[in-house]
Amino acid sequence: MLDPGGPAARSISMLWWGMLIAFTAIFALVMALLALAWRPARDGAARSSSERTWIIGLGLVFPSVILISLLAYGLWLGERLIPRDDPDVTRVTAEARRWSWTFSYDQNPGRTTLNVLHIPAGRPVDVAITTADVIHSFWVPRLAGKLDAIPGHVNVLRIEADLPGTYAGQSAEFSGPGYDGHTFSVVAHGPEDWQSFLEGGL
Amino acid sequence: MSSLARHRGLTAIWSSERGWKGWFSTVNHNDVGLMFLVTASFYFLVGGILAMLIRAQLATPHSAFAGPEIYSQIFTMHGTIMMFLFAIPMIEGLAIYLLPKMLGTRDLAYPRLTAYGFWCYFFGGAMLLISLLFGIAPDGGWFMYPPLTGKIYSPGINTDFWLIGITFVEISAICAAVEFTVTILKYRAPGMTLGKMPIFAWYMLVVSLMILTGFPPLILGSILLELERAFGMPFFQVELGGDSLLWQHLFWLFGHPEVYIIFLPAAGVVSTILPVMSSTTLLGYRWVVAAAVALAILSFGLWVHHMFTTGIPHMGLAFFSAASTLVAVPTAVQVFAWIGTMWKGTPHLRLPMLHILGFFVTFVIGGLTGVMVAVVPFDWQVHDTAFVTAHLHYVLFGGFVFPVLAGIYYWLPLVTGNRRFFRLGEMAFALIFVGFHVTFLAMHWVGLMGQRRRISTYAPEDGWTAINLISSVGGFVMAFGLAMVLIEIVLTLVVRHRAPRNPWRSGTLEWAVPRPSAAYTFASLPRVASRDPLWDDPGLPARIARGEGYLGEPRNGWRETLMVDIASGEPEQHVVYPSNTRLPIVLSAITGLFFLSLLVKVYWLTPIAVAGVVALAWRWIWRLGSKADLGDQPIGHGVRIATVAEVDRPPGWWGSVFLLVANATLFGSLLFGYAFLWTIAPGWPPPAFIQPSVPVLIAAPAGAALALVGALGAVRINRTGGNPSGFLLTALAGGICLSAAFAGLLWGAPSPTGHAYGATVWVLGCYGLAHALLVGLMASFVFARQRAGFVSPRRRAELAIVSVWGAYLLVVTCLIVLAVYLPGLVT
Amino acid sequence: MKDLLRILVSPVIWLASFSAIYALHGLVCAVDPGMPGPGIAWPRLVLSLAFGLAILVQIGLLALLASARFGAAPGFVRFVSLAGGWVGLVATVWTLIPTLATTPCG
Ligand code: HEM
Ligand SMILES: [Cu+2]
Repeated sequence: MLDPGGPAARSISMLWWGMLIAFTAIFALVMALLALAWRPARDGAARSSSERTWIIGLGLVFPSVILISLLAYGLWLGERLIPRDDPDVTRVTAEARRWSWTFSYDQNPGRTTLNVLHIPAGRPVDVAITTADVIHSFWVPRLAGKLDAIPGHVNVLRIEADLPGTYAGQSAEFSGPGYDGHTFSVVAHGPEDWQSFLEGGL
Repeated sequence: MSSLARHRGLTAIWSSERGWKGWFSTVNHNDVGLMFLVTASFYFLVGGILAMLIRAQLATPHSAFAGPEIYSQIFTMHGTIMMFLFAIPMIEGLAIYLLPKMLGTRDLAYPRLTAYGFWCYFFGGAMLLISLLFGIAPDGGWFMYPPLTGKIYSPGINTDFWLIGITFVEISAICAAVEFTVTILKYRAPGMTLGKMPIFAWYMLVVSLMILTGFPPLILGSILLELERAFGMPFFQVELGGDSLLWQHLFWLFGHPEVYIIFLPAAGVVSTILPVMSSTTLLGYRWVVAAAVALAILSFGLWVHHMFTTGIPHMGLAFFSAASTLVAVPTAVQVFAWIGTMWKGTPHLRLPMLHILGFFVTFVIGGLTGVMVAVVPFDWQVHDTAFVTAHLHYVLFGGFVFPVLAGIYYWLPLVTGNRRFFRLGEMAFALIFVGFHVTFLAMHWVGLMGQRRRISTYAPEDGWTAINLISSVGGFVMAFGLAMVLIEIVLTLVVRHRAPRNPWRSGTLEWAVPRPSAAYTFASLPRVASRDPLWDDPGLPARIARGEGYLGEPRNGWRETLMVDIASGEPEQHVVYPSNTRLPIVLSAITGLFFLSLLVKVYWLTPIAVAGVVALAWRWIWRLGSKADLGDQPIGHGVRIATVAEVDRPPGWWGSVFLLVANATLFGSLLFGYAFLWTIAPGWPPPAFIQPSVPVLIAAPAGAALALVGALGAVRINRTGGNPSGFLLTALAGGICLSAAFAGLLWGAPSPTGHAYGATVWVLGCYGLAHALLVGLMASFVFARQRAGFVSPRRRAELAIVSVWGAYLLVVTCLIVLAVYLPGLVT
Repeated sequence: MKDLLRILVSPVIWLASFSAIYALHGLVCAVDPGMPGPGIAWPRLVLSLAFGLAILVQIGLLALLASARFGAAPGFVRFVSLAGGWVGLVATVWTLIPTLATTPCG
């Protein structure tokens, strides 16, 4: 996730760095206030101890401003990341089971791959996620966040890889003894390779 | 009477049996509080050892220390023990021990219930411990998601240990919560208004109400999952109309409030100790109370933030993301009120204060990472990774363990009467603090690099080796520090080095009791006029000992105390507590037998155990009360007030009200589950709806109404001097009629194993049946009491309790009949 | 008991309306999110109306808590109950504002 390879992961990674910087500053501020409580009091009036400053100012207003902005940004980003209709989108299905993943492709019905998902690079892909047994979770850290595979439900995740290459994926919901090795990989292809994949090659 | 004679007289009345036998029959909060604290510390040790095993396993890649099967048990039991057998009982112990002393009363509202709760915890915990020793411990993670924990994927007994053992332990939390709520509202020193209560009492009041409404969803979830596992009722099986997401909702409806249930008492400890360490009062007491209330209620609207990756529509997630950011505001109010308090006063770097500083550093970081994971897209990435594990430990260790350590060092002189002699604590703190941050700061990072939680091993190529090794080393440093704390506590117990009476110069009443605390707690009950009575009058402890307060004369072998009016704190009722008895341990052993019979599936034993519980419960309440009118009792200072048997709202009434709050939450969760399956589960609607049966439609509401009318009528006629037996028999008849109606409802219900619909109808029907029987039983009990001469126009308290349950019964009956029959009527 | 109710009522009503609107959201999306509505999509219409109603209820509660007839006597409980009233109102606006802005059923 710290080394994003697609737009969704990249925006989340930027969100992380932004929050890290801002929150480090807040943490430093709180610690400074804590430390200043220890400076020797020369006269009682020198230190502010009014409810107004501490509770209304620092306790209510200060966090509210930060939290509302962060919330607004988070929701805006979430709106951008959820799958929407897009003529360019490629649809695939991922079915999890203990402990493997089976992928199939709308553009090439009948073709399935085991533990390797093929996608076109540079184009949005919607992954319809289901499970044949217990709950699992589809997660390719360098491409996007994770989404669970829940019995009886189909969840759709939008992923996209900038460049052709192989991206590691793993299930991120504990599923019993084989959980450690419940991994898969995503291969993003350039346009020609993708075409030949669809035609049964590769 | 001299102070010494008073001390002797009261001690004779209040002390537990001599010798080891005393532990099994004591009902005194001074004993039971410590029993809780010691047992909880033992489980902290066990959980800590499991944590060390986890860190040992993860220290190196391709670790061969434990295979995945054993490793799953280790982390599941670590989480489970820490949350259910360490944190919650620790809070209970602390509050049991401290609340009566802080509030200025002699014991909690229901001393026998305190002991019963302890033994339920003890036996339930033992069940889980045994499973761990035999390697058949739960292994589905501490939140036990089905279908993994269903019969198909977890056929063994492991999961049953969790569901049954934890439910058993939960009883103690519910008992304690009812008890704390009533104690804080009704058992206080005269003159202590709501605004003059010690801040810790406010926090515990809020927490108790949270337990009453937070635990029932989990209890319900556990019951449903156990029903599915044992009898095939498919609540969580999607093929048969169930949905595994229902478990997640029920679990987190409990699980999120749970973390605040753990944090808020700790915040109460901080709010108590920090001002004392800064020689001042808490800044913004009323703001802090408001913030605690806000935090408590807001925390019930956050549960879906644990489910951000389950595919819920974005607007649904947005509600919970918004709510999750909002809770940070009251948290900030408290943090800044504390820092402001330090600015207001002069902080001193004593040992408890060191731990409070540790709390600040750690908890603020945990709170900030908490805000991060409240942002939906970020959570999509870090959910179920080591980042979340690190976050949760910053909150739980920072927000709970550090304050508890501060509290232990702060109140140790009160418990032992001794001061620390060997100064290990400072060194221990340094080790814990450094060790903790090394362990968990590292885990944030490795989580961001993609390390999932709950993996038993990883490969060198992952590039996580160095970080994990550092984290494990930190873990062992911390363990070393914690071991030193333990050693120091034991040393303080054994090495006599007398502490002064009020060593920290604190203002609250717990420092006015003899040190170490005497069995009777207060020789007489003081009247208070402010939040810090000991600052108003440093001579108060001596005056209490001289019997200058209320109820200063030992008499009749009575364990006496006062109940007060909620708002004004003026004395209202005179209470005589039951004394030492083995009833609690026996009752909880038989309760344990009930759970055990379910666990090992010896079902013929189950009804026997239920009958045993009923018989003992009967005996339990039979022992209260008296066969003659006592009249108003003198409580000193020329005041006379009624005893609890001769009032309209006795302790049992208050207890029933708050128990019903928990019960109603359980029922509400059940209705929620029904509606949830209906709208969300894929396998709905079911093949056929149950068709309304006219006899049931008539008999059910009629029976419930009859029961209520009987109960209310009994109260009325008794007041005017008439004989209530007729009305009590009417109530009994109503209960029987209603039971028959529910039996009829179940008779016509679809198979409970075919579809989640049928299963839900069965649970609803059985819930109604159980309550109808219960109210019938209560009516018979009071009837028998009346016959035996326990009831008179003055001694009317028992009658009032039946009406509360009767009213509840009527409401749930109507709701059940509606919920079961409406779909059939509509379609 | 009355004092306790005064302190708790607004936040508890927030919790009730929050849960109810979340449930309504589930219901609306389960029925048929695609059905046409007047100008704006009907799920959003229904949810926003419920949101408005919840705000009105909170304002009403706050007024009651501040009134001489139903409010607490001046002092500690009055302060805390009014704070509770504000908590309820702010929480309602803050946590349910997504009804106006986010995608309802996607
Ligand atoms: C004594 C120091 C502690 C250490 C070194 C420690 C270490 C750990 C580690 C490494 C894990 C992660 C296992 C994994 O998922 O890979 C974990 C999980 C957990 N810990 Fe701790 N822990 C400590 C104390 C606590 C305390 C005090 C609490 C609660 C009050 C707690 C509650 C939990 C919970 C709930 C989990 C999640 C278990 C699960 O995934 O099912 N821990 N702990
Ligand atoms: Cu939570």
